[in-house]
Amino acid sequence: MASRKEQKERLRAERLAREAREQSRERRQRLVQYGSAAAFLAIAVVVVLIVVSQSGGGSGGSGTQDASLIEKQLRGIPQHGTVLGDPQAKVTVVEFGDLQCPVCQEFSVQTAPGLISDVVRKGTASYEFRQYTIIGPQSTDAAKAALAAGEQNRYWNFIELFYRNQGTENSGYVTDSFLESIARGAGVPDIAKWNRDRRSSKWDAELAKVQRETQALGINATPTIMVEGPGGNRVVGAGVLPLTQIESAIQSVE
Amino acid sequence: MPSERALRAVSATIAVLGIGVATYITIADSGGGAPACVAGGHGCATVASSSYSHIAGINVAVFGIAGYVLLLAAAALPGDAGRFGGLLLALVGFGFSAYLTYLELFVIHAICQWCVASAVLMTLLLVVNATRTFAHAGAELALGTPASSADRL
Repeated sequence: MASRKEQKERLRAERLAREAREQSRERRQRLVQYGSAAAFLAIAVVVVLIVVSQSGGGSGGSGTQDASLIEKQLRGIPQHGTVLGDPQAKVTVVEFGDLQCPVCQEFSVQTAPGLISDVVRKGTASYEFRQYTIIGPQSTDAAKAALAAGEQNRYWNFIELFYRNQGTENSGYVTDSFLESIARGAGVPDIAKWNRDRRSSKWDAELAKVQRETQALGINATPTIMVEGPGGNRVVGAGVLPLTQIESAIQSVE
Repeated sequence: MPSERALRAVSATIAVLGIGVATYITIADSGGGAPACVAGGHGCATVASSSYSHIAGINVAVFGIAGYVLLLAAAALPGDAGRFGGLLLALVGFGFSAYLTYLELFVIHAICQWCVASAVLMTLLLVVNATRTFAHAGAELALGTPASSADRL
């Protein structure tokens, strides 16, 4: 009797152990199968997302790359001619730049967004871009096109969008059709008027004035940032200056 | 090894935090301007205005909201469907967050604190969901009773 009971218990224990091993094996199999499927699927989805992200990002040249991003960045901030922001602001951040200049483009994507969002939008300072055309003849065409956009208060949309679609300097890319695509992307309402305005001779005097001003200030590079305030003016420096440096200058001339 | 119920609760909590962060980024970006950096940082505007901040015209943070909502659903779902579904979602979320972080560091050269916060949350979600899957996958295969009483919810 006792030995049969023992035997039954032993057999039962062996059966339970076998079943446990089976379960374990099935669970491991399930983990490997479904886990691998999840991993492969995840990689595929991430690759697709990266490819789509890259096709939207990267280099421009199509004329309207980032048009809606620029519009969003500037939405709600007043523009009057070449000045962005509150015209009553005590301090003005002046950028001397050339639209063909690649370092100015760097400044536009690197520092300008924070300057616009954290300083100009808050009314701490206004931001003015003065066309300091030094790179080549097409810089003048670009400058006049931008100034003409300013006649319809889309100067800043034009400049920022131009930088997002900038080509290689002096390669001849600043054609009439390129400039028109920028103007359209910048939301210039009356393109016919813009085309007339940009061919006007009145801009020559404006551009000559900037040349004289930069000479007097000892400026010879783009982009150069100058901060003007009631406390005097100060040339902050050239290149892709960090926003913190510009903010210190603003504080010192307030 | 934490109980599956604890892991699901933690996953759900982190997913809710993620919905909050991604929603803030979306709202701040939509009204003009950018998410506000705290403590004197300035990277948020640079990142928000970069070409990479949108896919097909939609702010990347919107995809984040969708991902976090689905992860919350996976945390609520019992069994292998919730485990492997959560793992898949967390892998996608982590992979894409890693790519966006790479862009911030090496292409855009600016850091947005809110994007970093989301990347951290996604990393935590991957850890929690991977643990839930590896520790408890197939638990319902146990004949008769669940593998542990904590799986019953």
